[in-house]
Amino acid sequence: MRLPQSLIYLLQAVAIGLVAAAALLVLFPQLRTQSFEHWWRTEQVGVASFAYAANRAGPAVVNIYTRSFQQASTDAQTEVRSTGLGSGVIMAEQGYILTNYHVIASADQVIVALQDGRIIAAEIIGFDVPTDLAVLHIEAEQLPVIPLDPGLNPKVGDIVLAIGNPYNVGQTITQGIISATGRSGLSSMGPDSNGRQDLLQTDAAINEGNSGGALVNVYGELVGINTASFQSVAHQESYGINFAIPYRLAHRIMHQLITNGRVIRGYLGIGGTDIVPVMAQLLNLGGRSGIYVEGITPGGPAEQAGILAGDVLLEIDAQPITNVRHAMDMIAEVRPGTEIKISLLRAGEVLVLPVMIEEDNRFQPAR
Amino acid sequence: MNRRLPLFSALALSLGLVANLPAAQAALPFGLGSDVTSLAPMIEQVSPGVVNISVSGSKVSRQSLPEPFRFFFGPNGPDAQLQERPFQALGSGVIIDAEKGHVITNYHVVDDADKILITLIDGQEYEAKLIGADKQSDIALLQVDAKNLVEVKFADSDTLRVGDFAVAIGNPFGLGQTVTSGIVSALGRSGLNVENLENFIQTDAAINSGNSGGALLDLEGNLIGMNTAILGPGGGNIGIGFAIPSNMVRNLVDQIVEFGEVRRGVLGVMGGELTTELARTFGYRSQHGAFVSQVLEHSAADLAGLKAGDIIVSLDGKPIRSFGELRAKVATMGADKTVSLGVFRDGKETKVDVTLTKADDDHVLAGSLHDSLNGASLANTSQDDPIPGVKINEVNARSAAASAGLETGDIIIGVNRQRVRSLHDLRQIIQSKPEVIALNIQRGNSSIYLVLR
Repeated sequence: MRLPQSLIYLLQAVAIGLVAAAALLVLFPQLRTQSFEHWWRTEQVGVASFAYAANRAGPAVVNIYTRSFQQASTDAQTEVRSTGLGSGVIMAEQGYILTNYHVIASADQVIVALQDGRIIAAEIIGFDVPTDLAVLHIEAEQLPVIPLDPGLNPKVGDIVLAIGNPYNVGQTITQGIISATGRSGLSSMGPDSNGRQDLLQTDAAINEGNSGGALVNVYGELVGINTASFQSVAHQESYGINFAIPYRLAHRIMHQLITNGRVIRGYLGIGGTDIVPVMAQLLNLGGRSGIYVEGITPGGPAEQAGILAGDVLLEIDAQPITNVRHAMDMIAEVRPGTEIKISLLRAGEVLVLPVMIEEDNRFQPAR
Repeated sequence: MNRRLPLFSALALSLGLVANLPAAQAALPFGLGSDVTSLAPMIEQVSPGVVNISVSGSKVSRQSLPEPFRFFFGPNGPDAQLQERPFQALGSGVIIDAEKGHVITNYHVVDDADKILITLIDGQEYEAKLIGADKQSDIALLQVDAKNLVEVKFADSDTLRVGDFAVAIGNPFGLGQTVTSGIVSALGRSGLNVENLENFIQTDAAINSGNSGGALLDLEGNLIGMNTAILGPGGGNIGIGFAIPSNMVRNLVDQIVEFGEVRRGVLGVMGGELTTELARTFGYRSQHGAFVSQVLEHSAADLAGLKAGDIIVSLDGKPIRSFGELRAKVATMGADKTVSLGVFRDGKETKVDVTLTKADDDHVLAGSLHDSLNGASLANTSQDDPIPGVKINEVNARSAAASAGLETGDIIIGVNRQRVRSLHDLRQIIQSKPEVIALNIQRGNSSIYLVLR
């Protein structure tokens, strides 16, 4: 049977069009970047349930139990035992687990319970007090790993799920949105260092025992490490204001902890403030940006280099400084022992001073 | 011309395809589709099916004499005083059968109530009658005589997944009907109150006091659970709430409708949670399951060939995560039902069919046996009791049973000179309709006779 001419014509057009479209998508991958993958993942997510994310991420979130032994002061024979509770996230098949530092801070023994029922003693690889993060290691086969998206770009309003073990009721998933996204700079602070603005904020319910657990997006990908230590510090229940350490920051800290056993941050030894427009006029800054030096730590690198209180720091290695946060991040990134050039404004004149950066040892507790 | 046209349209088509892809995902935050941006259409349909419940009654509390006074009055002084305190309480309920006027709620909402009032969403008030209840699973079935009710349909709660949306409707703090939303946080939770039968759905939808007995719905407006409890150190919601799954509610309601009571199924095993050590000892790879430490003789489990050391891993094809879950499911399933258990033994998993037997009436309202026993609740004695028989667990003040002279703690050991060792014996004797019923009762160290008329 012969098809009508017009139909053949149409089919031809469609066929050529499809081939051309496919060729375009192959030749110019940027065309399909977000859209195709997004569509595919959306298909997986399915209709009106977060079960996909829960199934993907849930097994990689572990319960953490800690035990500590203290000798009672009066009687050396008796031991006072205390137990602690938290959650953790399996970040790599090799058995690396991210959790909060405060979960394991006073622990003599750390035990990890996987969702498949396995219970494994864990070793503390390292911890970082300012960001309240710690890395544990367990020896086990076939570990479920949390899905990670290196290109993750969390935005305020994104739906997130908190996974953890609140009050030891068992694995619990709660839902909310991202209320603020936090920062990933190396000078970021965690909850105990009063760094709320550096943290990711969410209204998903996070309670005692959720600490160290995962905050994931609707695809089950890690968005942050939950931390409930604000509530315990304030002795208050929270209603919709909870915090997590952003994924990017947590990931960086984890890599440093695994390679170095600690987080190495550069240290300058100044106290500074941002310059508000009025101050900029008084200091005669013109169009330049910088930070105002309020004080110098005695014996620190800044003092040794000759920086004085009242100076305005303008540039670090020719990079203009915009504000204190920015400057702290830049300094923290510098490897200790490296000499950097800081340009500053003193009495209307621009000076450039070499400064030998030291390691920031302020946060190393005695363990 | 003819050659060129397909090329043009092909180009247009290919560009169209490429350009269209991003547009396709624009409306999809999580797959709800572009037209669903509010739960309002669903809520509008379902909300008339959720009612406010207010109860009033009086709780009897036994007030014993303070120790210093006892000194004055001596051992024969007034020992205990019954004190009545009026109370009022609020809760929620769900209409599950519009025609019969059946409304479900929590047992703890209507416990001890003399009067139960139901308020529909349009403000109409009706008095409701308690048809039946089950304290251990915390459900109660009420009936109202009203027309034009709207019922809520049951969903199959066994198909729920962690991460599914959940919508709670109820009457928190007596504010009036309130809708909150969240997700299913976990399934099969038990162990909050070890005496109860628990197999909760956990949700982060805000549930507070007054939500008890209210509905937990899926996005289509079908009932997935009955909101029952929360975990909140300060008394308010912190995102950890618990609901009785709709399948369990349905099983229990069906039994109450059919028999007027819940007929607990009994498997006849003792056991506990599966610890890692136990699991390892028995060569089982997971920690999810119910460990059987003892099989009672002549029980359903015994007849079906279950053995101590077995690990029950599934029931009717649904995984069993804990002993608490198994216990709740078996007890609420109803007697005489046949279930298929997945049993792990000697490194292999097998299926065993078990027909549940009827529980030996562990709690019976005595009024169902004899009118003169109205107001007493009976149970078989346990090992802690001094003598086997039927124990009076509770006697309501001013009831027939109280005026007959029964007291809480009495143990019925005989009727009309026949020895009574269990509720089964008692029921048999009373059902033979003797002319007189003389109860032989052990009260403390004395043995007394009470004659019922």
